[in-house]
Amino acid sequence: MKINAKDLASGIFLLVLAGLGLWLNMDHTLGNARRMGPGYMPMLVFWLELGLGAIVFVTSFFGGTDPLEKWTKIDFVTLALAIAAGLLGYQLLSTVPALSTNWYALGLSIVIAMFILAISPGWRVLATVLAGMSLFGVLLDAGGLFLSIAIMVVVAAFADKEHRPLGVAACVVFLIALCWWVFIHELDIRVNIWPTFF
Amino acid sequence: MDLLISNLAHGFGVAMSFDNLLFALLGALIGTAIGVLPGIGPVATISLLLPITFGQPATTAIIMLAGIYYGAQYGGSTTAILLNLPGEVSSVVTTLEGYKMARNGRAGAALTISAVGSFIAGSVATLLVAASGPLLTEVALSFGPADYFSLMLLGLIISAVLAQGSVLKSVAMVVLGVALGLVGTDVQTGQQRFTFGVPELSDGLDFAAMAMGVFGISEIILNLERPEVRSVLTAKVGSLFLTREEVKRSIPSVVRGTIIGSVLGILPGGGASLASFGSYMMERKMSKGRAQFGNGAIEGVAGPEAANNAAAQTSFIPLLTLGIPSNAVMALMVGALIIQGIQPGPRMVESQPDLFWGLICSMWIGNVMLLVINLPMIGMWVKLLQVPYKYMYPAILTFCAIGVYSINNNVFDVYATVFFGILGYVFNKLKMEPAPLLVGFVLGPMMEEHLRRAMLLSRGSVSVFIERPISAVLLVICALALGLMLLPGLRKKKEEAMAG
Repeated sequence: MKINAKDLASGIFLLVLAGLGLWLNMDHTLGNARRMGPGYMPMLVFWLELGLGAIVFVTSFFGGTDPLEKWTKIDFVTLALAIAAGLLGYQLLSTVPALSTNWYALGLSIVIAMFILAISPGWRVLATVLAGMSLFGVLLDAGGLFLSIAIMVVVAAFADKEHRPLGVAACVVFLIALCWWVFIHELDIRVNIWPTFF
Repeated sequence: MDLLISNLAHGFGVAMSFDNLLFALLGALIGTAIGVLPGIGPVATISLLLPITFGQPATTAIIMLAGIYYGAQYGGSTTAILLNLPGEVSSVVTTLEGYKMARNGRAGAALTISAVGSFIAGSVATLLVAASGPLLTEVALSFGPADYFSLMLLGLIISAVLAQGSVLKSVAMVVLGVALGLVGTDVQTGQQRFTFGVPELSDGLDFAAMAMGVFGISEIILNLERPEVRSVLTAKVGSLFLTREEVKRSIPSVVRGTIIGSVLGILPGGGASLASFGSYMMERKMSKGRAQFGNGAIEGVAGPEAANNAAAQTSFIPLLTLGIPSNAVMALMVGALIIQGIQPGPRMVESQPDLFWGLICSMWIGNVMLLVINLPMIGMWVKLLQVPYKYMYPAILTFCAIGVYSINNNVFDVYATVFFGILGYVFNKLKMEPAPLLVGFVLGPMMEEHLRRAMLLSRGSVSVFIERPISAVLLVICALALGLMLLPGLRKKKEEAMAG
């Protein structure tokens, strides 16, 4: 038997999603075919998705081999830890009153999860790029646009081993200048430019 | 005919305004740049620039975004011919003969025929859009809700059938897109669906955040994971002039490419990449120089390059006349229009004449600009290829982050983009094609509305979809399209075509 692991995983992904959708849809009134309630279309869509997921799942056993990429032990461990830390972090952080606005709790827990994920070389590219972007969100309001860009670029620079400090610094300066010109000077978006927490 | 001419005159008036010319040029330049650069495509770029267009008038915004799409078709061929690397998916087949020509010392000729062929095809296709637009619009105005539903269903199915990879998974991705489109407030009852009490979600998932995450951010990550392909220029550009024999051989190929590209562009789910594959297959079978294929036959450059540009123009037809996006780029255009407060559909020709005719005329102007941008300035674009990716991705990331924030001035959208970035990464690893997802996401809410209206009018009877002739025909085509793909022979053909 030649299992197509990519299709198998896709099938499971679709089945789980469809199941979740159908479960969440229990809150919505279905109505009937003539007067459809808010739950009618979701019901159709998720049942269809469930069916398609099942077909993808079953046919994956006869699809020929297409293995997933090899995961090392550290990939598994960091992924599990990152998910756990992210979820736990969100629960804890959202109880802190100072962090209850501006989605700070959400942003910080993503950053924590991504930093844990970055420990494993297999996830480093993904984790550093996304950590940079999340840090941008966390810092933007209090730190201002320029600081957030600088931090984001520096963190994301770790995704490419060929980056050198001087090159990154040049990148930061160039991007701050470019973004000031495009977004502040030309488009005039409403955002703090300089830090406000002093 | 008189009406067409007066409409076109009106369109040229709109397109020739200073702002619109400037943004058409800007779009053409950006399009050429991302076309030349491998690793960043029009879908990612347009989603990246979507927030920047909010402040502009709708016509100017769409003119620029359209310029990026067809500009990328011009730029993609440069990289394909000179470096044997496809700058875009639609120029994959250009590498086959174009790079061989470059190694034979005819790089200049290959570049010229691809730019001139694209220009001829683009001009013809633009005329086709102008002529067929109002005609199709009249047909579309007689559509009822049931017909619309079936039409959108057809659009979804064909976009899945023609996507790369497994048809089954692409259909699943379309449905997933429709499912994601359900998030938000139910239009008819006001009930919140799948919002988890998050106020930011009551207007639905943000289209730009999704497109940027699934295409922009995940592309950065995937490009960085791959070892960078060092671009080494192996061939000199040489003379840009064609010999008389080359001209003679290319003309029929350009004509055939224009026809096949225009047809495949109109098809829902079609678009530039499908057209260039189709044209290449045709040239290999039909052209006089088919014996030379594999050794740098000019027909293999002229045909596909004409076809992909023709298709890039005609794929606007279903969008402008029916309001139905035929591929991921057009789905982004719908997003841009909706954000501007314009509901794409058959009434657009009448209610937005500036937009409709201005866009068509600016496409032609844009093609003229691209001819100039690409041929005499080829050296500049070759230089651009020397910029390493490590300096490009921080810029893309920064533009994504600020752009997505500026839509609602809310950092929630930044985190949503991060989430969709992860999702796009997973899709890629599982070989799930994300383009149909975007089409499903855009069409889903419209489909629900039409379905509910149709069923209300028919008092809950499903037979309305078969009783109305337009709807019935469309549903038959849906069934045929799906049925054909189940035939093993055809499926193999498609795989061959997609693999080039």
